[in-house]
Amino acid sequence: MSVTPNRTAFMAQAMHADNPHPETFHRFFECWISEQNTYLEELVSAANNHNRDENDDAVLCPLIERVVGHYEQYYQAKSNWEKRDAISMFSPTWRSKLEDSFLWIGGWRPTLAIHLLYSKSGIQMEAKLGDLIRGLTTGDLGDLAPDQIKGIDDLQKKTIREERMLSDKLAKQQESVADRSMVELSNAVSEMIRNENDDAENEEEKVESTLDSKKDGFEELLHMADDLRLETLKAVIEILTPIQAVHFLIAAAELHLRLHDWGKKREEAHVAENLTSGPCGLHVS
Amino acid sequence: MAGMCCGVVGETETPSTVEPSGGRQARRRRMDIHQLKFLAAAAAASDVVVAPVPGSGRKRRKVQSLETIANNSVDAKVLTTPLECEKVVQQKEDGHLGSSSETVLYPCKSSSETICDVQSSRFGVTTVCGRRRDMEDAVAVKPSFSSDLHLYGVYDGHGCSHVAMKCKDRMHEIVKEEVENSGESLEWKETMAKSFSRMDKEVTEWSEGASGSNCRCELQTPQCDAVGSTAVVAVVTPNEIVVANCGDSRAVLCRNGVAIPLSSDHKPDRPDELARIEEAGGRVIYWDGARVLGVLAMSRAIGDNYLKPYVIPEPEVTVTERTAEDECLILASDGLWDVVSNEVACSVARMCLNSQKPPSPLRSPGNEVNVAGGESSDKACSDASILLTKLALARRSSDNVSVVVVDLRRNL
Repeated sequence: MSVTPNRTAFMAQAMHADNPHPETFHRFFECWISEQNTYLEELVSAANNHNRDENDDAVLCPLIERVVGHYEQYYQAKSNWEKRDAISMFSPTWRSKLEDSFLWIGGWRPTLAIHLLYSKSGIQMEAKLGDLIRGLTTGDLGDLAPDQIKGIDDLQKKTIREERMLSDKLAKQQESVADRSMVELSNAVSEMIRNENDDAENEEEKVESTLDSKKDGFEELLHMADDLRLETLKAVIEILTPIQAVHFLIAAAELHLRLHDWGKKREEAHVAENLTSGPCGLHVS
Repeated sequence: MAGMCCGVVGETETPSTVEPSGGRQARRRRMDIHQLKFLAAAAAASDVVVAPVPGSGRKRRKVQSLETIANNSVDAKVLTTPLECEKVVQQKEDGHLGSSSETVLYPCKSSSETICDVQSSRFGVTTVCGRRRDMEDAVAVKPSFSSDLHLYGVYDGHGCSHVAMKCKDRMHEIVKEEVENSGESLEWKETMAKSFSRMDKEVTEWSEGASGSNCRCELQTPQCDAVGSTAVVAVVTPNEIVVANCGDSRAVLCRNGVAIPLSSDHKPDRPDELARIEEAGGRVIYWDGARVLGVLAMSRAIGDNYLKPYVIPEPEVTVTERTAEDECLILASDGLWDVVSNEVACSVARMCLNSQKPPSPLRSPGNEVNVAGGESSDKACSDASILLTKLALARRSSDNVSVVVVDLRRNL
């Protein structure tokens, strides 16, 4: 994916502009993801050049800060758009359907951070099991210290609790689509249509304000979910050593980028298939 | 951290301090020389160990290769300070503890040496939620719970965690009463059977009277009838290891490198268990594995009132004479045993116990004894329990993982 030349300017605009077009976040996302790709390469090279003999935290820490800052930027921009159009942020057009199916309240499920950590840690651990058994340290994620395991376990329990709290909130929010005001309103408007009543104008205002209140609920949920996502990511990094954090961020970026690629590739293949052989191919061409 | 010093207060939270990042560097540094030396062996080891488990032939092969590594180890010097001494000293001088690191730094004072010699209990505990969304395991470590007896228990709950938690809180007290009641004529099998039966009664009565508890099971059934727990309880006496078991948690003894299971899992398709269930009028239905009435994947448990009399709380008890060749005892929930064989677990544990750890000045001592279970413990045993837990997670264990490693060596 190529980086747009005026990226910096665009990012600035994306973060602050009052442009309400949903497409804009789509473009911001494309930019962001290409930047993530660049950061990934930086992380990989930092991991490869990492020398256990030399304390290179001075190199790693600023890089980690920048990568975390990049995530913060993403959530800042997302939050800005959520304020304008929370509903469309729930069904992002910038994601593939594959990614969509893994989403929870408009983004990744916060506990994924811990599962990702356990998976990557397991892979690195099994690669050096012999060393670890003899008490040698490997420094990577395979070598989580007791206090780190404890920290991760605590974080997981806390994250699950908060995820559940938000899931419950989401349930309430979704159930409210059939609350009294909505049923009353839908009935009133239906009656008017049936009676060909011209008074529909008045009702329209009511409809708007009722739907707006629903929207506000979703917006709040999105903010809370995004906060939890960022908070969890930072908490994981806080538990890890700098080089472990680099490995973790690599795994996170790789999973995110590849899932996005795979999803898009599938969709493109699907479209191509429909164009050539599908029944709707006739319509499209 | 008062709980740290006595090992009795299970609820104590370990400080989840994160080391300052600069410190971690050096921990890696000191290893580098060794690292080179072991690179080849390690690669070989991981190849073999990583292979997916089943098939006893393959297991055997793994063990051998792990043992080869052990023998190649430079030094088998053991580093262990009987923790009890520190605990005792600390308690005497402080009353309560400021931080757990103080505990460790305390030298073993002469005043408490006698206590160390006779009663020391060296153990490591790790218990994590793992890849599950509910934590239903509970672990109890009760050194000297009754004069010179130590009790270790792993309880893997199902339906909710409250039965497992009750077992953790109460089992040792019940066993203590039963032991003390029987006095001279102590008959372990009977004592443990009685204790389990009392434990079961308590949880049943408790859940009947439980209103206003905020368990998540409350919604499912008002009487909390569908909740239970495995229980594997080991009482270590100066001469014997008594293991009482209900369910599919397991105790394994590592003796001279050989894994000896001290309990036999209660699976509904175990022929004798199947016969017992059917005789009682129950059925074992294969629904995602063998299940009693198609519901519970184990044939004995504490609790589970609605599955009685098919599922019973009666333990199978083994009494094993301790020998000089005994190395360690591993108690764990099926989160470990589902993905790690007895043999591999033993090899890993004994290697942790035998491997000499280089001094680690930059790891704060607090971190060395604090483990996920929140108990205070011994460094080598903690390393073993942590490593086994990480191995289980690495092998994609999808359950809660709880591991207790007890050092049984006497000549330290």
